[in-house]
Amino acid sequence: MDADDERDRGAQIDRWLVGKAREGDPQAYEELIRRHRDRIYRIALRITGNPADADDVTQEVVIQLWTALAGFAGTSAFTTWLYRVVVNRSLDHRRRHRAGPEPRETDLAPVAGPERSVVAGEEVRAGLEAIARLPETQRVPLVLCQIEGLSYAQAAAITKTSEATVRGRLARARATLLAEMRSWS
Amino acid sequence: MTETPATLPCGRPTAPLVEQVAEGRADDLDAHQRQCPHCRAALGEYARLWAPVAAVTAERPKAPPSLVEAALRTVRGRGDDTEYGRIESPQGHTRVAARVVVALARHLAAQVPGVEVALGGLVADGHRPGGEVVPDVEAGVTGGSTAVRITLAAAYGQDLQALGERIRAAVARGVRDATGLEPVDVTVHVDDVFV
Repeated sequence: MDADDERDRGAQIDRWLVGKAREGDPQAYEELIRRHRDRIYRIALRITGNPADADDVTQEVVIQLWTALAGFAGTSAFTTWLYRVVVNRSLDHRRRHRAGPEPRETDLAPVAGPERSVVAGEEVRAGLEAIARLPETQRVPLVLCQIEGLSYAQAAAITKTSEATVRGRLARARATLLAEMRSWS
Repeated sequence: MTETPATLPCGRPTAPLVEQVAEGRADDLDAHQRQCPHCRAALGEYARLWAPVAAVTAERPKAPPSLVEAALRTVRGRGDDTEYGRIESPQGHTRVAARVVVALARHLAAQVPGVEVALGGLVADGHRPGGEVVPDVEAGVTGGSTAVRITLAAAYGQDLQALGERIRAAVARGVRDATGLEPVDVTVHVDDVFV
């Protein structure tokens, strides 16, 4: 089974489970959550940049999705709707728990040296710090496409923008990260 | 911050090179790049700078199971875990929550080839609202017994009767081995077939 077939089959299973969950079957809802819990958590973690915030967002999503499913029209893929909920909740959470405005691209200044971090074997932490400092409009497409491997079309549907917008923002995110890493060197 | 120049001395724009590195294709050189020292130097530099982001991409953290379980417990509400199977032994008894049987049955059924997705449930006794589970786990002298219902979607092209038999066998054996409860009835409900 190739990747497209696998994705189609996954969507078919999701539709079946969503139908059962909307009829009030808690087992179907639990299975639905089990299928997507890791990605819910990862998206929340990469967007909030904080494990405790990701925990909060994941729990909120799992609890509130059960009742929110009633509002899922089924006109898009379940995952599109789910990831949109996770992205929006993560952004809300981050805004609520951060003092001050989001950094603008021109505000970004080096905070640590990646070389030093790399030497210390903390490449991941250096990357996370840099991603967390991206403006929202760049961070979200970076998380969805670069980190989670979603297509431009999927990311566009989730963020309710065009594929061209996603592609442009992703390119800017990559350029911003590269520039920041260079400043650290 | 030090911006990346828009083009290299060879005239190539840098944006596609950044994309090439970010998409993990830094070693996939085209004919020009194989000959061009500027492109190769730039690709090497971008790959070095990009390494922390690549490390984040490679890391695939999982949701802490206890976190999700706590949230699902909130969704289920109280009272969901009040049904238990009871297995007596001379030294005491073992209680197995109904949810354990449900989870086991679902897991076992989902492993049977031909099953696309499965849901487990304990057979309701008709006195509870639909969907609630009431296992008959107190019957029997030497151990508890339980009746299990599996609702599933099967892959297209299956002999559904044979599939049902394979599921019954796998679930009965698995529940018996794991819990000590005797599955006296395993009902298989094929709800859908995925083409």
